[in-house]
Amino acid sequence: MMALLEMRHIDKLFFGRYANRDVSLQVQKGEIHALLGENGAGKTTLMNILYGIYRRDGGEIFWRGEAADFLSPKDAIEKNIGMVHQHFMLVPTLTVAENITLGLREKGYPFTDRAALSARVAAISEKYGLLVEPGALISSLSVGERQRVEIIKLLYRGAELLILDEPTAVLTPGETAGFFNVLKRLRADGCSVIIITHRIPEVMEIADRVTVLRDTRCVFSAPIAELDEIKLSEHMIGRELAPPTRGKATAAGGEGLVLAGIGLQENGIQRLRDVTFSARPGEILGIAGVDGNGQKALAETIMGIRRPTAGEISLGGRSLAGLSVAARKALGMAYISDDRHEDGLVLDMDLAENLLLKFNRDKRYASRGLIDQKRVLQKLREAVGEYDIRAPSLRVPIRYLSGGNQQKLILARELSDHPQVIVAFQPTRGLDIGASEFIRQQLLAHREMGARVLLISADLEEIRALSDRIAVIHKGCIMGIRDNSDDLDMTEIGLMMAGNPAGEVRAG
Amino acid sequence: MSKQFRAAISYAAIAVCSLLLAILLILLVGCDVGKAFYGFFNGILGSSYSVAEVFVKAAPLILAGLGVAVAFKSGFTNIGAEGQLYMGAVAFTATYVLCPGLPKAALLALGILAGFLAGGVWALIPGALKARFGISEVINTIMLNYIALGIVGILLQTALKDRAQYFPVSPTLDDGLGFSRLLKGTRLHSGILIALVCAVIVYFFIFKTSMGFRLRAVGMNPRACKCMGISVSAGLIVSSLLSGGLAGIAGVGEIAGLHHRLIGGISPSYGYLAIIVALLGGNHPLGVVIAATGIAALQVGALAMQRAANVPSAIASIIMGAVVLLILARKTLFKRLLREED
Ligand SMILES: Nc1ncnc2c1ncn2[C@@H]1O[C@H](COP(=O)(O)OP(=O)(O)OP(=O)(O)O)[C@@H](O)[C@H]1O
Ligand SMILES: [Mg+2]
Repeated sequence: MMALLEMRHIDKLFFGRYANRDVSLQVQKGEIHALLGENGAGKTTLMNILYGIYRRDGGEIFWRGEAADFLSPKDAIEKNIGMVHQHFMLVPTLTVAENITLGLREKGYPFTDRAALSARVAAISEKYGLLVEPGALISSLSVGERQRVEIIKLLYRGAELLILDEPTAVLTPGETAGFFNVLKRLRADGCSVIIITHRIPEVMEIADRVTVLRDTRCVFSAPIAELDEIKLSEHMIGRELAPPTRGKATAAGGEGLVLAGIGLQENGIQRLRDVTFSARPGEILGIAGVDGNGQKALAETIMGIRRPTAGEISLGGRSLAGLSVAARKALGMAYISDDRHEDGLVLDMDLAENLLLKFNRDKRYASRGLIDQKRVLQKLREAVGEYDIRAPSLRVPIRYLSGGNQQKLILARELSDHPQVIVAFQPTRGLDIGASEFIRQQLLAHREMGARVLLISADLEEIRALSDRIAVIHKGCIMGIRDNSDDLDMTEIGLMMAGNPAGEVRAG
Repeated sequence: MSKQFRAAISYAAIAVCSLLLAILLILLVGCDVGKAFYGFFNGILGSSYSVAEVFVKAAPLILAGLGVAVAFKSGFTNIGAEGQLYMGAVAFTATYVLCPGLPKAALLALGILAGFLAGGVWALIPGALKARFGISEVINTIMLNYIALGIVGILLQTALKDRAQYFPVSPTLDDGLGFSRLLKGTRLHSGILIALVCAVIVYFFIFKTSMGFRLRAVGMNPRACKCMGISVSAGLIVSSLLSGGLAGIAGVGEIAGLHHRLIGGISPSYGYLAIIVALLGGNHPLGVVIAATGIAALQVGALAMQRAANVPSAIASIIMGAVVLLILARKTLFKRLLREED
């Protein structure tokens, strides 16, 4: 059978360095093809070449058996190839429906019948179970919802090959299951999907075939039937994986990070309501919940980015009320945001400058108002070494690093200098299994050193693996807090995540 | 083909387009192209006077352009360099009118400081409004241009008017108290040196100091700054003050080095040209110096072309507008050529 898509011996160089070297990929019609590989292995680059964003430096592409050369995403979409990027590309100030039809000349353009459009969007979203409100502003949506918009956008344009760059990184297990149902339905319709992911169980569940990239090269490609999880992860990182173990409880006495009755009201919307818990020194408190239930508001209120309208936060017995973000950071509060491009990095600055975002007032790196380039560079070299950050060069804007490597830089920055409090919001999002393992170990190490760690994640497995206790957030309320023991009642947690205040709430 | 090479080709193409446009326009007004071009280049390079004239015009353009560049770096869209320049000129004039008898060094030091502050405050007003209330600075800076011109007009009728004169002009600065003349027989004064020193200082500030770093960060991603505890308002306040201050010094130079008294039209839109200078110079101090010199040369040459070949000097403005458009549209126009890595 002729392959739907064939990429042969693709080469791509950036700044004289290979990002793809002799990579081949074959996708059949009606196949879900998983593309795996470590951070910086070249997965996104390969897909960007296919999608017409980058020019390849060597190799050939065949689409439906014919040599093809997509010059731009527009070109690719016309040939029924659609891509959802690792970092979404929606216009936040437009509505869902407007984003979906952006750039299309609809019937009657420019006097498009918006109501009819919205109805069509709603029809697609219903057909595939991709629930979104067509009239909602993108800026008001959670990351998970935004992703659904991206997918509807492609389906709306009649994509037959969907390229999805780490789509499940932002989803909860429940959402992922629903999302996979969508993919299965698409496969049944004869669509093909290339899915990039770092989660091996997902690959086993959904993919028909796997291709693994390592260090710019294609190292492996096989049907899923010939594989199991262990073999696959070995192919991916070239060694066996050692899942982190939590060890015995290290929570010490002493004052932790205490939230007492925190409420946050913004523009008449109650984002947080009476949030009360504490994270003791040496404890990891997991905050589980479906994406978009006030996690962001919670994280930002703790960090002082937003001001609570009720209640009080204290650290080590000292009230944080009135302290600026900078003052809180000076107290050793570290923040890993879920949105690295918006909140954590300045994409057009280089690696050293992105470190300086934290250290620009630090005597060690800036004395008498002058930046000590040498020290900063030395610090950067240490970070690059310790966190294995792969960059084309230390001088490029951080925009040019792969997503996982950008995340590693943030972690290196935030976890330096023994933080007292770590607000980790989806800290391993977009990291490959090796790097995730490393980050988890880091969080555990900081727990042992006495940090109060707040692990906010939609990934229940991660929360279970790391947390001493688990709090569940729903619509800005803490539904309950449970000790994370082996006999933890997962059904109850699930119920709480769905908004049922199960049992009595044990205060932290 | 390397990236730089492709970029160079695109710029060369822009140059060729502009040249063709110039020829077309000259032909269109029915003038002799050869004569016009000879007049243009002779007007720039023909004599020491003409070369000096380029730098006379470049000085205020560099200073105001640096100011706009600093503002742009921090995300503060300063369209008000013109007004800030006039406020600097007013402050310097007031200094020598109100404090007669000061020795030269003291007068210049005090006058430059006053000019810096006056221009700075003029930009700080919209800067603070943006920092505090999030009010768009674009309209405010433009409005303050008109107010500044109004203030100049009023002062020239009242407090700063030279009573001995019928026209609205200020008293003349005593000989020997202004900026020194650099070249005999030309109008070149030490304002150009001050401009170049400021360019070095601004470079150093922006790229080497932690305050400059914060300012750039605020310009590139205010949201991340907020999350990292870098004050966006502080960045805006500092950059607007510095930005207006530099334009203010441009105004000081025009009085202290060139006109030696305040009159209505000391600036042929230097403040607006400064925006173009900053854009063309990529908001980089070195780029600003080059762009300012280029635009000054274009203006000087155009005037000479008018004298030599009767070509309306407005053509220079048209060319300049076209060049700016082409450069701003470069990435789109040469998409195929440049497409890579962006
Ligand atoms: N536009 C670019 N300019 C320069 N280098 C780039 C660019 N895009 C990617 N690279 C480099 O190419 C390599 C491969 O990057 P790519 O984004 O394809 O990795 P990836 O496999 O998608 O990783 P991740 O899992 O972290 O997303 C990296 O070293 C990256 O720094
Ligand atoms: Mg990627």
